[in-house]
Amino acid sequence: MELAVETRGLTRDFGSFRAVDGIDLAVPARSFYGFLGPNGAGKSTTIKCLTGLLRPTSGTMRILGTDPMTDSVSVKRRIGVVPEDLALFERLTAPETLSFVAQVHGLDAATARSRANDLLTVMDLKSAGQALVTDFSHGMRKKLSLAAALIPAPRLLFLDEPFEGIDAVASRQIRELLLSFVSRGGTIFLTSHILEIVERLSTHIGVIASGRLVAQGSIAELRSGTGMGKSLEELFIGLVGAESQTTPPLDWI
Amino acid sequence: MLRTLRAFAWMHWHVLLNSLGRTGARDTLERFSIAMDQLGPIIAAVMLVPSVIVIGALAVYAGYHLAAGNAPAFTLNALRFVALGATTLSVVGPIALPASERTNAVRLLLLPISRKLLYIAQAAGTVSDPWITLMLPVLIGVPAGLVLGGAWMAATLVLCAGALMIAVLIGLSMLTTNAVHLLVRDRRRGEMLALLFIVVIPALGLLPGMLEARGRRHRDGPAVSSRPDANPPTWLRTASARLFEIVPSELYIKGTRAAVEGQLAASPGAALGGLTLTAILIHGFGLIAFSHLLDSPSVSGPRRTGGGTRVWRGTLPGLSASASAVALTQFRLAFRTPRGRSILLSPLLLFLIFIFMIRRSGGTEFSFLMGTNGLRLATFGSFVCLMSILPFAMNQFGIDKSGLTLVLLSPITESELLLGKAVGNAAIVVGPAIICIALAFGVFPGGPASLWLNLPLVLLATYLLTAPAAAALSTIFPRAVDLNSIRRGSNPHGAAALAGIATFVAAGLPPAALTAAAVYLFDRPTLAPLFTLTWCGIAFVMNRLLFILVARLFAKRRENLALSV
Repeated sequence: MELAVETRGLTRDFGSFRAVDGIDLAVPARSFYGFLGPNGAGKSTTIKCLTGLLRPTSGTMRILGTDPMTDSVSVKRRIGVVPEDLALFERLTAPETLSFVAQVHGLDAATARSRANDLLTVMDLKSAGQALVTDFSHGMRKKLSLAAALIPAPRLLFLDEPFEGIDAVASRQIRELLLSFVSRGGTIFLTSHILEIVERLSTHIGVIASGRLVAQGSIAELRSGTGMGKSLEELFIGLVGAESQTTPPLDWI
Repeated sequence: MLRTLRAFAWMHWHVLLNSLGRTGARDTLERFSIAMDQLGPIIAAVMLVPSVIVIGALAVYAGYHLAAGNAPAFTLNALRFVALGATTLSVVGPIALPASERTNAVRLLLLPISRKLLYIAQAAGTVSDPWITLMLPVLIGVPAGLVLGGAWMAATLVLCAGALMIAVLIGLSMLTTNAVHLLVRDRRRGEMLALLFIVVIPALGLLPGMLEARGRRHRDGPAVSSRPDANPPTWLRTASARLFEIVPSELYIKGTRAAVEGQLAASPGAALGGLTLTAILIHGFGLIAFSHLLDSPSVSGPRRTGGGTRVWRGTLPGLSASASAVALTQFRLAFRTPRGRSILLSPLLLFLIFIFMIRRSGGTEFSFLMGTNGLRLATFGSFVCLMSILPFAMNQFGIDKSGLTLVLLSPITESELLLGKAVGNAAIVVGPAIICIALAFGVFPGGPASLWLNLPLVLLATYLLTAPAAAALSTIFPRAVDLNSIRRGSNPHGAAALAGIATFVAAGLPPAALTAAAVYLFDRPTLAPLFTLTWCGIAFVMNRLLFILVARLFAKRRENLALSV
């Protein structure tokens, strides 16, 4: 099986705190991989390691067959990222942001203009015109960040909570866009807390808890392997060991 | 009410402790960088203690001798100066220093507290402002001295005046803070205000000098008879003097004097009444501004729409597409932030004022900048332009904020990024520098053409050596900044700024020395461009070598940059 992302013993420490603890990811090419975990489980740290923002403390990685630690520029040419902080220049406009990304990815001016035009239309950002990103709402920023990740036509997309703060209409548009991306041979590595969306989109799931990968595979494989309920929510709660946690009654409410 | 005030005091204290203790540093170098950055405020805080003791002792001394009727004039003048300073800083301080914690109106709105109580709680927090802290020993010390001198009645009156003075200062601080926040809620209006503060107000400081030079010229020159009085008109002087009399600090000093002199019925009452009225008015307006802020706490103002999606892009000669994109983004940043615009405008405005003053005074003002031509002036102006890039160059990664993450996620090599930044910074200052040289040449022509040609080469040689140092300092001392901020909030790391100035000076010395050698040693100014051009070649090679080292440093520090900016 061709793997878009492969890690072996990926570990990242922050001082004495181990955020990611020896995980072995295997993300098949042309798959929609949902990377799930409770808050603070290590999802964003893992994405930061995979995209070159953080150096792993130990372990190996291969992204689209290349080691990002030895040839990060080559890897970055083929991936798109919507990171946690959205990574946008506050004082550029949406067209300028896309122009910047296109230029650093080596796209010629005509292609960049055409793709930017398409993406601004799809993301409903054309009306923003010459407004600076600093004046954008959270949803607009998210859509622009996704557009910036898509403009170089990457083969692999890392999306950290892409649906958070997005309205229902935009969410549907983005879902369709991402499914179309996968159907054309792209791979998506996505983290989200909205399990319904992940369940609807993902072909494969990885679950991380306290920095450790507790399960990985297709949803069907996980269901048959664990025998833990039918919905992804039940599966997820079972995998992260939260089924025994009961909510205190808080009688004073 | 006391419970609320206690909760606010507790919150402010813990915010302060957490900002000092929990830095989130990831390694020794970052810890060092953060410690250096915090050193300034800590030194200021430590300096405050002896200042409070000295001012307090002076106040007690003044009070004691006032009671005895033999207070030395300097003591009251010193106290008057402190009171006037505190009054001025109560207005200027909230504009110049960040006070976001004090006015997070959205958070405050969620609390189950009435607006009046919220206002009081916020106002109580301003007592910790250094200018009010410095005023407290005066307000307590003078009555204490009066009590020691046996003037109990006067001490009581002066204590009342002091309490009213503090109320006025707190009111001024609150009114200014809330008014500023109301203004800057609209980003564009806020940027205009910031630019006004950065560029225009310092320039206004030079106006008296300009007027004086003009007046002197009229007095000394033939035009004296036609315009005998260049001073401000009498009505203006009278109005200014009357206005000054009702400044709160003057009312306080006047009240103190009168109380001691025993004019209980007249002056102290008037001064106390004046202070009371001022306090009521200021707090009234402050409360209105505060309520208005709470009514609509979020950012207001129209969002710019339309305008098309076409973007100019181009690849600069000698640069890769990636480096060009970085340079262009840096250049755009300068045009779109108050701090960036100040880099472009301040040196030019300053230069124009200098030209105006020199021309008005016939060359007697700023004679050190004037020889027989404008060469020295051009050198001064263009170097000021070059140095004005400090806030950008010495924090070239920090100013990008989350844009830096975008850059780090992009397929850009360290060398391309550093080159793009260096070229972008140069592009920001090259325009103002050339305008300064052209203006100086246009207004005060003359001098050897070779030296005029030499000047841009000197600037180039200086920048070639400064650029890698700036990149290295920005890498070691990153600081997350807000380029909208008027003062410290947009400044680079203190250590980077200091080292940056030293680097500029050091990098400018060799070409300056070579020029001096050509002019004074060999007595052949035509040699100067040749010497400097040769040095430019050497500086270029050094620049390339240094950038290789800085690229390695950047590669090692990129994770810290990504996490700390």
